[in-house]
Amino acid sequence: MIMKDIKRVAIALGAGFTPGINAIIIGAAITAHRQGWQVVGIRDGFEGLLFPERYPNNGLIDLGPEAIGKLNPLNSDAMGTASMVDPFNVRTINELEMVEEVDLSDSLLGNLKKEGIDAVIAIMMGRGLSILHRLNQKGLQSVCIPRSVENDMAATAVTFGFNTALSFTIEMLDRAMEAAKSAKKVGVIEVLGSRSGWLALQSGIAVLADAVVLPEHPCDVQKLAGHLKSRINRERPYGLVVVAEGASFTNLPGAVSEKINMLKKALSPLASEDDSNQYVISRSGKAATVLSHALQQMMTDDIFPLVLGPWSRGGHATAVDRQLGLVYGSAAIRAVKSGQFSTMVSFMPPEMQFVPLIQSLNKVRTVHDESYFIDIAHLLGIFTGS
Amino acid sequence: MEEYLNIKGRVLNIQRYCGEDGPGTRTTVFVKGCSLRCKWCSNPESIKLKYELDFNRKLCKGAAACGICMKAPFPEGAFYVVDGPDDKVQANWDLANITEDLAELCPTGAIGIFGKEMTAREVLDEVLKDESMYRNTGGGVTISGGECLLQPDFVAAILRGAQESGIHTAIETAGNVPWEYMEKVLQYVDLMQHDNKLMDPERHKKWTGVSNKRILENFKKAYETFPDKQFITRTPTIPGINANEEHIRAVLDFIKPYKNVIDYELLPYHRYGLGKYVFLGKVYELKDFESPSPELLAHLRGIINEAFGRENQEK
Repeated sequence: MIMKDIKRVAIALGAGFTPGINAIIIGAAITAHRQGWQVVGIRDGFEGLLFPERYPNNGLIDLGPEAIGKLNPLNSDAMGTASMVDPFNVRTINELEMVEEVDLSDSLLGNLKKEGIDAVIAIMMGRGLSILHRLNQKGLQSVCIPRSVENDMAATAVTFGFNTALSFTIEMLDRAMEAAKSAKKVGVIEVLGSRSGWLALQSGIAVLADAVVLPEHPCDVQKLAGHLKSRINRERPYGLVVVAEGASFTNLPGAVSEKINMLKKALSPLASEDDSNQYVISRSGKAATVLSHALQQMMTDDIFPLVLGPWSRGGHATAVDRQLGLVYGSAAIRAVKSGQFSTMVSFMPPEMQFVPLIQSLNKVRTVHDESYFIDIAHLLGIFTGS
Repeated sequence: MEEYLNIKGRVLNIQRYCGEDGPGTRTTVFVKGCSLRCKWCSNPESIKLKYELDFNRKLCKGAAACGICMKAPFPEGAFYVVDGPDDKVQANWDLANITEDLAELCPTGAIGIFGKEMTAREVLDEVLKDESMYRNTGGGVTISGGECLLQPDFVAAILRGAQESGIHTAIETAGNVPWEYMEKVLQYVDLMQHDNKLMDPERHKKWTGVSNKRILENFKKAYETFPDKQFITRTPTIPGINANEEHIRAVLDFIKPYKNVIDYELLPYHRYGLGKYVFLGKVYELKDFESPSPELLAHLRGIINEAFGRENQEK
C-alpha cells in the first residue's frame, strides 16, 4: 500500500540518554525531505505537544534541510529528552493543589492533528514501547526505532547505541586490566546490564577477562573463586572479572539480603519475601562491591571493585552506530511511506525489516545458555557462571 | 441503623492486630489514593485513587495450563510469558488496565484489583470484631493510606461510628488537603499522627510534588482548633534528604508552642518498598539511598528527647 497523504512527520525521543541520536534524526529527515515531506521534532519526549504553551514554536523543532545540515551526527543534542514519556499518566497538580496523574493522550493526538503531523517516528525503549502501543491503538500512525545501550530489545539483532557503549566499555576494561596488572590485584568491574548481559559478555570476551557474570546465569561464587585461583600465578599475578549490574549469585558468603520487615509485611498486601535462594543485586553500583567482598573472603589476592556503569552512556557515537543510526532513520521513513505503521524497524543482518511492535513488547533479548558467544567465552577460558 | 454509615469509599486493605499505628493493639484501615508523590513511598499500591491491577504470580498455573489472560477480552500484551524456568504469566502494568469483571475471569485469583469499594458500615463491622481487644490493650482503630483525608466524608463516618462504640480513633495523614477536609474528620479523631517531611517549601516540592505551605497551615489550624485532641508529628528520616539536625530543630520549633503535640517520632527510611515498585512496573527513584545509621538516629532522637524533657536512652 502506498500512502499518498503523508505531508509532515514528527520525530519523538523517549526517556534516557543514548549517544549519537542525531544520526537517526539526520537519516530520517534527509529521506523524508527527498519525499517532499516536512520533518519536525517534538521537544522533550511528548512534552512539547502535551504542553505546547511552555515551549517556543508550540513545542516543535524545525528539522528542515538547513537545520539538519548543522547537526553533528555524533551527538544527541537536537531535541532534548524527558524523564518520563507517558501521556496516559501525566503528573499534574489539580485545582485543590493535590498531585494526580491525568490521561492527556487525547490532547496529544489532537495536537498532532492540529499541527498536521501524519506520522511519528518514535525512538524508544523499555516502557516507551508499551506507551507507543497504546497510542497506536488510539489511532497514532507510528514507526519505532529501537535504541538501547544494553542491546536488550527483542525482535532486532542490534539496537542503536549498543556499539558505542560496548566500545567505551572495552576501552575502560583495557585500562582496568592495566591497573590490575600493575598493582598485581584482581579487578571486579561492573558494567551496564540490568536484565541482559550482552555488554558484559562481549566486552569481557574482547579484553580476555577471567570471568563474566551475567544477569541470566546465576554465578556460583565459590566456583568463580576456584577459577580465579587456577588462573592467577607468579607469572600472571592479576585478574579481571566483568560483572553486569543485574548479576545474581549463589554460594555468596556473608550475604545478607534485605529482608522484608515483618511489620510492613503485615501492613502491606504486596510485601512478600523472596522464596528463592538467589541473591539478586537490585541497585546499580552494588554488584562489583558485593562480589569483590565475597571473593576477598575466599582468596588471598587483593581484590578491587570498580563501577563503570553510567559512564558508558555518554560521549559520542562510534562509526558503527553512526551508520546504523542513519540506516535506522532512513528505514523508518520507508516504513511510513509504505504504510507499515505500528511496527518497529529491526536490523537482522544484512536486512532491515519492519516487525509488528507487539513482537518486541514484553520481551528482553537475553543471553541464552546455548548462545554462540557463551561457547566462544568458554573456548577462550572465560568463566561464565557455573 | 445510622444513615451516615451508608457512605461508600475506596479501601485498599484492613489489617487487624497492628502495633505501631497508635496506642495499644489496633485495626488499621488503609484507604486508597494520595495527594502527594513522595519519592520514598513504601506503599506505591496505595497512591492512585483509581483501582489498579493486583497480580500474584505465585498463584498463576501457567500459560499452557490456562492462558486465559493472554487472549481476548484481556488487552493485547497485558499478560505475557518470557523464557525461563516456568511459563507463569507476567503482567505489563501499562497495558493491563483491567476491570474487576475481567479480573474475575482468572480462575486462580492471580489477577486481582487493588482497591475495593466498601461502605463505612462494612468497614466498621470489621473494626468492631476486635472491640474487646481494644479495651484490653488500650487500642482502637487507625485510618491510614494513601491519604485518608482524601475521602473525608467516608473516613469521618467510620471514625464517628467507632467513637459512638467507645473505640479510640486515630488517623495517619500527610495533611495536603483543603482545611475543610481535615476539619470534618478531626471532629471524630482522638489522635492525629502526621508527617513533617521537609520544612523548606521548595525542597518539599522537589521530593513530594507540592509545597508544604498549606500543609503547615493545616497543622497549625488543627492544633489551635482542636486543643483537646492529641497530635504526634513524624519524619520519615532519609540521609541526604532530611536526616539532619537542621530539619529536626525546625520541626521542634514548629511544634513548640502547642502542648497538644505530645511527641515527635522519627521513622527511619528503608528500601522494603523497592520490590513493590518492580512488581508494579514503576520506577523507584530512591533506590540508591541508604537507611540512616543507628548512630545518626540515636543522635537525632537525642535532640528530640531533650526538647521533650526526656532522658536519652541508648536502644
